[in-house]
Amino acid sequence: MSFTSPFAKSTSKPGHGSIIVEILPPNTPVLKTVSYQYPLKLIAPDPLPPPNYSGETDTPRLIHIVFLLTYGGGIVAGDSIDLDVHLDHKTRLLLLTQGSTKIFKTDDPQVVSHQRMNVHLKHGAALMYLPDPVQPFAHTAFSQSQIYHLDQGQGSLCVCDWVTSGRSARGENWDIYEYKSRNEVWTTEASGKKRLLLRDNLILDKHGRTDMRLSSRMDRFSVFGTLIVRGPVFASLAKFFLDEFEALPRIGGRNWGDAVQAEPSSKEQRRTERQSRETKDGVVWSAANVRDFVLVKFASMEVEGSRNWLRAMIQEEGSVLDAFGERALLCLK
Amino acid sequence: MTSSPPSQQSLQDKIADLERRLRDAKAQLNQHHGVAPPHTTDNGAALHALLLLSDSALPLGSFAFSSGLESYLAHHKLSPPSASQLPLFNTFLRLSLSTLASTALPYVLAGYRNPEEIETLDNDFDASTPCTVARRASIAQGRALLAVWDRSFKTQYKSALGNADAPEGKQAAIDALTAFSAALRTSPHANAHYAPLWGLITRILAVPLHEAAYLFLFSHARTVMSAAVRASVMGPYQAQALLASAELQDRIRGLVDEGWQRKVEDAGQSVPVMDLWVGRHEKLYSRIFNS
Repeated sequence: MSFTSPFAKSTSKPGHGSIIVEILPPNTPVLKTVSYQYPLKLIAPDPLPPPNYSGETDTPRLIHIVFLLTYGGGIVAGDSIDLDVHLDHKTRLLLLTQGSTKIFKTDDPQVVSHQRMNVHLKHGAALMYLPDPVQPFAHTAFSQSQIYHLDQGQGSLCVCDWVTSGRSARGENWDIYEYKSRNEVWTTEASGKKRLLLRDNLILDKHGRTDMRLSSRMDRFSVFGTLIVRGPVFASLAKFFLDEFEALPRIGGRNWGDAVQAEPSSKEQRRTERQSRETKDGVVWSAANVRDFVLVKFASMEVEGSRNWLRAMIQEEGSVLDAFGERALLCLK
Repeated sequence: MTSSPPSQQSLQDKIADLERRLRDAKAQLNQHHGVAPPHTTDNGAALHALLLLSDSALPLGSFAFSSGLESYLAHHKLSPPSASQLPLFNTFLRLSLSTLASTALPYVLAGYRNPEEIETLDNDFDASTPCTVARRASIAQGRALLAVWDRSFKTQYKSALGNADAPEGKQAAIDALTAFSAALRTSPHANAHYAPLWGLITRILAVPLHEAAYLFLFSHARTVMSAAVRASVMGPYQAQALLASAELQDRIRGLVDEGWQRKVEDAGQSVPVMDLWVGRHEKLYSRIFNS
């Protein structure tokens, strides 16, 4: 005897997830959808109003936050994760993780695990994606893509993508089969035509004819990262990165003692402290203003070096914490 | 390059003279045997174009940039400082070629294969160039190449179109280039990056694609070596020896083969630290190259 379930059929597929943030008129952002399927898991704690929320019409009343997790704390060979995110106009979302995304070993280098994320932002929406780094263990093959779709170039982004050399405590040092990470930002113009605004594609595999192991290609660094910043919500942060890059001491420069040293301001003091910690931690970074983005590249000898540096930069600048709250830095603690 | 001592000069002259005589003698022998010289008409034009493009002045303006070499050397202080920088340079050259092959070569191939997409290729290449220093260098060289085409090559290669043996699709390629040059003046999105234009122009000049790709990588190797000579990493003879080496030949050929099928969407950085070296060039206290 056949049995018809009274419930609607599930449309979700393994590893698929969806996050939709909409505005409930007049001005309340709500998390309309949070759905996910094994091995992906999403956790959405209660949204909080931004600190010092004064009821201005420009800032949304609530900041939503979603944690991206995977069962077992990592991605097993052959896993495939697809996440769709839609942000309505004037909504804000904070995407975080709870610990590094571990990539587990594959027996067959041909079996590549995937993680894909497609984010659609409407006018005035802002996404902050500040996860822990991806940590591919030895003998892994992983490919991820983060594609951001903007409506006529509008919308604000502050997204970070970083990767480490593996379990350094076990002596792993980029002993992977392959690792690929793609970040793209597209705009749909008024005519409906799509145009690529930014592509940041990292490819670590056996190709390149360098006759060098991956570890030597990485020049002793064990963390590499990219921070992509765009849009009005993060304009102040973007400028801060550019200014601080400009203020970095010159490589190979010397203090000849012939310039009058004025009493440093407290800002300059903090800058000097941060810079000396960068040197100690072996953090190397650059910032560039390209095509209305500020693109920050960083590398360090240890994970903590990059983590501390990134947190110090965002904290010092402050505007992100004002807009999104302290929780924005959870992955950088 | 420094001038050679006179004795060496006279030796070179002597060699050239002997070679010429050997050629003449061989030609005479061939005539005696009634063997025609190899038929080169269809290849001759391509060879001529290849020689034109392999001029060491090209890419025009490349001498002003070091492709990150200067910054790389500044990030790797040797102890003692007097130690030879040659091992460092060898590593850098490999990484630099690998980067160029993974980021720019797909655009050369695509520019050659799909001339009509030049505007999209140019935009996408611009979107994929993460730092201002690399961007400036690529655009400076691309615009210079366009100028060379416009002022020097255009008359010849446009008029050669009437020939029956004009390669298929050449007219379309010329049209695409003309349209792009026009767009460059009007569209805020057009930049004129070197890699896709190199592909398109070698297509018009009917250089075989494999040779065009090989020359693209070879010219880069020569540019980096020339920068190394000017940065006192090595002497000019050493640079020529490296350029002539079988190792470099193998590497370039291997890179062309490896990248032959790679699509532009899959172009990307294979040496992430290269972006940092190039991007931090402007932070050097003293520089002999442009950033």
